[in-house]
Parts: sequence; structure tokens; C-alpha cells
Amino acid sequence: MTTYKFQTVERDSVFTRLDFRSKILIMIVVTLLAFLWEDPIYEAVLAVLVLGACLAAGVKRGYITLLLAGMSPFYLFMLLTHAFFNVAQAERLLAVSNLHPIFTLPADLWLIGGLEATWEGFLYGANVMFKTMSLTLVIPLAIFTTDVDEMISSMVHARVPYKLAFIFSSTFRFSPLLWSEFNKIVAAQRLRGMALESMGLMKRVRVYARVVVPLILSALVRSQQLEVVLQSKAFNGDADRTYFHEVQMEIVDYFLISILFLFSIAAIYLRVQFGWGKFSVWF
Amino acid sequence: MVSKKIAVLKEVSYQYPRSEGYALKDINLSIERGEFLAVIGATGAGKTTLCLSLNGVVPQFFGGRFFGSIEIGGEDTIDVPTSQLAVQVGEVFEDPETQIVAASVENEIAFILENLKTPRDEIVARIPEILDAVRLKGLEKKHPHELSLGQKQRLAIAAALAARPKLLVLDEPTSQLDPYGVRETFQLLKDFQAAYNLTVVMTGHAAEEIAEYADRVALLSEGQLKAVGSPQEIYTSFSLLKDNALRPPQVADTFQRIRQRSVEVIQTPVCLQDGIEAIRDLQTRVNICSPKISSQGEVLQTETILETENLFFNYPDGTIALKDVNLTVKKGEYIALMGENGAGKSTLAKHFLNLLQPSRGDVRFAGKPTREFQVSQLASRIGYVAQNPDQQIFTTSVEEEVSFALRNLGYSSTEISVRIEESLTEMGLLQVRDVHPLSLPKGDRARVVIAAILAMHPEVVIFDEPTTGQDDLGAQAILKVSLRLHQQGKTIIVITHHLHLMPDYARRAVVMGRGRILLDTDIRTAYHQVDLLKKTYLHPPQAVLLAQEIASQTPIPKLLTPAEVAACFKPRVRGRA
Repeated sequence: MTTYKFQTVERDSVFTRLDFRSKILIMIVVTLLAFLWEDPIYEAVLAVLVLGACLAAGVKRGYITLLLAGMSPFYLFMLLTHAFFNVAQAERLLAVSNLHPIFTLPADLWLIGGLEATWEGFLYGANVMFKTMSLTLVIPLAIFTTDVDEMISSMVHARVPYKLAFIFSSTFRFSPLLWSEFNKIVAAQRLRGMALESMGLMKRVRVYARVVVPLILSALVRSQQLEVVLQSKAFNGDADRTYFHEVQMEIVDYFLISILFLFSIAAIYLRVQFGWGKFSVWF
Repeated sequence: MVSKKIAVLKEVSYQYPRSEGYALKDINLSIERGEFLAVIGATGAGKTTLCLSLNGVVPQFFGGRFFGSIEIGGEDTIDVPTSQLAVQVGEVFEDPETQIVAASVENEIAFILENLKTPRDEIVARIPEILDAVRLKGLEKKHPHELSLGQKQRLAIAAALAARPKLLVLDEPTSQLDPYGVRETFQLLKDFQAAYNLTVVMTGHAAEEIAEYADRVALLSEGQLKAVGSPQEIYTSFSLLKDNALRPPQVADTFQRIRQRSVEVIQTPVCLQDGIEAIRDLQTRVNICSPKISSQGEVLQTETILETENLFFNYPDGTIALKDVNLTVKKGEYIALMGENGAGKSTLAKHFLNLLQPSRGDVRFAGKPTREFQVSQLASRIGYVAQNPDQQIFTTSVEEEVSFALRNLGYSSTEISVRIEESLTEMGLLQVRDVHPLSLPKGDRARVVIAAILAMHPEVVIFDEPTTGQDDLGAQAILKVSLRLHQQGKTIIVITHHLHLMPDYARRAVVMGRGRILLDTDIRTAYHQVDLLKKTYLHPPQAVLLAQEIASQTPIPKLLTPAEVAACFKPRVRGRA
């Protein structure tokens, strides 16, 4: 069976009822806060809030797990590089000259012998990790809770050019088809004796890379077919059209927008005036 | 005064860019308002190009050289953009998957109306009306991909009809549908034609349905309009059909063969009901005999090669695809695995290859559970030719395509060369060994895939809907390959809902419906279980129904083909005066 819905949520919630414009604002505010703050605790709270919102909205747990598992090598890399190498920045941000060591690598190790991991560097890495987590999770929160056609209407109401909105929404519409095409090609190759099960990671990557050529060819054919279909359906990219979906901002949208707006102003003020959210450690 | 003609094609010729020949040549054709015109022709005859020219996509989108003129409701297709012509011309394409652009059934209908600036209230009013007409009411919020193939095609038709076009053009809309879906589509179009004076132009290979539903038939050959006439005229022009790789409806074929036996036939019928009446008439004045037929009931005493035992399979979303399937395939058998779209035929085949694993029960190959094999190990012994050849082609030359599997399986370069040569010869592809497979015609692309699979020397070959989208010649060519392989001792399974093609090939028929095996018997017995076949939305070939009509009066064996039915009749020898 094909994955045709691109992980669309099946549950009705406040997130599915919100106008897409409100969700765009949520994305903007989360991005702003993620970059505004550097305190790992603030960032952790933000990440947990976004994660909680995803779960409450019905974003599939399997998808979230896959996303976090896929990102985990990056998270680990962030934690380790900051723990070992982020000395100068941590010292400057905390205005100290000595950082707290966690452990030191044995001196006889080649190239990295004697390197010291510090708590401050590690926590800065945690800040970056949670920041990335918030930014990654807020996208499915907004996209998977919105009907693709409502997305277009909302974007057009937000004065985004119709053609751009259509291209944006088409990406979500056709990515699952492309993914399904990819799987069919890999399945066809397995049916020609390609033992994917017994391949190492690098060999698998090479196999997947080879799939790109037929996939692009198929995407080109599909895009040509799509253009013919669209023209036959009277599509000409003109914003002067009617809309079946009436998008209207409800009270809850205005309320949310006001809260987000005020919260952002307050967060910026508190950060600038009192340093709330700046990088700090509790020891 | 409104012209009686909705479309007028004058001296139309068209050549695609970077193409040597003309796709359309000197076409002169007038299409009357409210008529149902079927366009038939072999693969490559220009049917699709003709369809695309009626809404201006040819030449507006493709470019190329266009001569002559096409007027649709008084508008020239060169001057008026396709998006504007959409007011008058609705277009439906072959593959339902590629023409659905929205994420819900109602949005799909709304899309064209939005583009045509139909007021929202009008859109809201038209959606339930049109969905009711195509029997999709209640599915408004469904994602189109949750629908069956037949429902998807009806949705595509509904989306085109929502704009209330005067002309509806359909390019092979039934090629992927099961027999029930085919009839359903034809009936739907006929209903709209009658209700709204809709003009229908439709291409396809469904001879039986075209004969029954179309008002006129146009025959295209190499871009030229060879003949236009009533279904009666066209489908009784047997040599014209044969020259163009087309087949007549089985009922016409049967009566032509009866005529060849010097039996007087007043008029060759092209529709089933007329055929049944003509049979009744013949029975009163002609001797009926019991023809000799090949015995097809014998059970092979070879060893079991494939076996399923109490097999159940559920998809992750809970859809039950297979229910308690018990099947035994003996070495050297030729089996037709039949059933409606979504009956579970391909799902079962994927279990043989370990591409899917049972939710419950067992699948065994040569006595060993398939889960103990890797897919690649099974694939080298069970060749699987999937429905769409394009999804199985991933290299840049025919030769590379054939060698792909052999390299994976670790054969020496000498062995690879020998097998490539052997496979390409077998499939008649030696001349095009260096050509990019995707540049070949569809029939040849299918043969490239078969060649690539044959190179592995599999013991079993599974053909999954191999005749879909092929003209009669193409379909027979592929089935002849399957027969050759069978004669070489291979076990063959053909998954199909084209029942009329199988009697000359398969001995055993396995009929599936809603994930279960409904019938597993010899093909003669299976084809004569008419009520059971209907339960799984299959219609027996017309020859079978004619045979049953004869059998209702005179005891005869279970006949399958027009030739066998015709052999029942012999002229009465007049006594000497």
C-alpha cells in the first residue's frame, strides 16, 4: 500500500482547527525563540512543549521516533563537539576562565589524546540539540495538521502568490508518490537478485544513489503528465479563481496570534533587558 | 442556431518535436453533439494524440508541427488556450493515479470549478450532485488514493463532468479496470450521454463494450483515419480489424467462424444479446453437434513447487488482504490467477517472493518456508514480471538491463554474455540491445523486463497483469512467450482479469475475491461458473455465454472459445429430390 497521506494526522484537535496562517506564526515564533534563547533549560522546555503539541495534535509517534532517531547522530555529534571543543565561547558567554571538566581522554590516544570534555561545553551542545529539535518538530506540527487545499487558500489570503502556494502544496502532495516510486524501484531491483538484506551501510547507500536516476526520470515523466492534467483541468496559475475552502480566522486564531505576539515581545524584552534565556549553568 | 457538430477536424496532421513520423495524418472527422464515438486502433495508432488534440494540449503544450484545424464548439484549438477550452472539453486519461491532483474526493471535483471561477455556492451545490451521479456519495472526505481503481476512474470522470463540458474525451479509461469496472464506466457514460446530451469520445480496446455502447466507431491506423462507421459496420470488417491488430467482439468472431463453416448467418451480430437471439434462431434450422475439445481436467502428478497454508495477511492499517488462502502449485503447471481489482492476487504473489510476510499461516517454496529465503534468492528462482514495465527498468541500455540480475547473482562474465545473448534472442531484442529501454514502445519495454527475468533461469514465472494497456497483438505476443516458457518446463502463473485471453494458454484457473480463493479448478469448469465469477466482478467471455445458450437446448461440453462454439454448427445436408 502506498503512503499517500504524508503522515496527515487523523485526529481532530485545536491544531487541525487553527487557520494555517496561525500555524505559520507558530513556526515563526518557535524559530525566533529557538534562536533568541541559549539557555539549555529554556530550550529543553521549548522542545518539550513542541513535542507535547505534536503528540496532542496526533502526529504519529512512529514518525516522531523516526525523526528523532534519524537526527540522533547529529545530536550526539553536537553534544560531543561542544563538550570537547567549545571552550572559548562557553568561557566568554559565562564570563569565566575555568570550565568544569567531565573527563579527560587518555593522553596516549592518537590525535585526540588529552582532550578534556567540559560540563559547560556539553550544556551548550544540549542547547543546540534542543534548538534543532524544536525547529524540526514544529514543521510536522503545522503541516500534518493542515489539509493541503486549506493550506493553499490560507497562503493566498496571506498574500502569498497563488503559483507559489500551489507549488508549495504540490510538494506535500507528490512527495509520498515519489517515495512510493522509490520503493517500487528498490523492490524491482531486489527482484533482480540484489541482496539488500546482506549489504553493509555504504553499499546500501550506493544502491539508493543509483535509484536516483530512474527516480528523476520517473519524476520528469510524472511532472509532464501533471502539467497536461492541470491544463485540462483549466489550471493556469492565475490567482483570479474561486475557492471551495473558505478560510476564516476564528476567535481562537486571533487569541493565539495575540498571545504569540505578546509572548515574543516579552521574551525579546526580558532577554535584552534582564538576560532571561541567555546561556547559563546552575553550578 | 447551434451547430449540430461539436467538433470538426479538417485535414489535421501533427508531428511531435524531435520525431520523424507524423502521429496524425490528414484527419477529417466531424463529431455530432450527443454522440458516443469510440476510437480504436493498435498501440501507436495515434489515439492518445487525437484525444490530446481535442483540448488543444496538442500542439499547445507539446509544440511540434500542426497542420489543418480543429474547431470545438466554434473555437479553434490553436487560438484558445487549453485552460479555456476546458469549459467545453473535459479530458480523462488512462491512468487514474496520474490525473488526481487533490487530497480529497470533494477537493478533486472542486479543483476544476475553482479554476473556472465558479462561485463557491455553485461549487458546494455541484459536488454532491456529481458524486451522487457517479455513485461516490458518502466518500467526499476520503483521500482519492483510498478508493479502488474503478472508483478513482469514476472520480476522474466526475471531476471532468463537474464543469459540465459539452464534449468528454476519454483516453483508454478502462484499460486498468476489471470487467465490472469496465462495464460500470461505459454505463455511466451512456447515462450521462442520455441525460445531458453529452458527447463522448473514447479510445480503448474493450471491443465487446464498444460494440454495445458506442454509436459510431472510428478506426485509426498509423495516424490515419481508416474507417468510420457503426459498431456493426466496423466490427464485422474482419480483415480490416486483423490488418490493424484489433479483435472483434467474441460474439462477432463466433458468427464469422460459423459462417465460414458454410452455415447461413443472416447478419453477424456484434452485441451479446443479438448473438444469443441469433444462436436461438440457428438452433431451429441448423444441426448442432458436440465438438471435440482438448481435455483440461487432468491433475499434474509432479512435485509441489509453491504452497500456501491458511495464509492470512493484514496491511498495517488493518485492511485484510488475504484470508485463509490454501493453494498448491505443482511443477510445470500453467495457472490463470483471476479476480477483481483488489481481490488479493498481487498480494498473494508478493508472498511467494517474501516481499510480504504472512500475518498468519505459511508460504513454502520447494518445501521450505519462504521466510527462510532472502528476496534475492527467491527472485532468481521465481521470476516476477510486474504490471508496469516502466517501474522495473532502471538502467540505460537493454543489454545492461538484462545483465543487472546476473551481475547481482555473481555469474562469471562469460556466463553473463551467454545468458544475455540467449535472453535477447528469445525475446527478439538483439537489434535493440544498445538502445535505452525507455525509448522503446510499451510492448517492447515489457519484453525487456521479461528478458531480464528469463536471464536468471527461474523455475517459476509470475506475470502480473501482463496484458494491461496492450492491444490484442501485444497481449497475444506476451502470452505466447509465457506459453513457450511453459513448454520449456517452467511453471507459469498469469495474474489477469482479461478472461477472454486465457483459454488458449492456462489449464487451471484460480479465482480470488476479497482476499479468498473462491474457486480452484480446471479452466473449463471455472469459466462456466458464471454466477460465482460475477460475485468477484468478473464476466465470462461472450463465447462461454453463447455456449451456455446452446447447452440449454443441446448437451455439449463446456466450451470456451469462439472456434469451439462455431464448431457446434454444421449445415443441414439437403436430401436429394
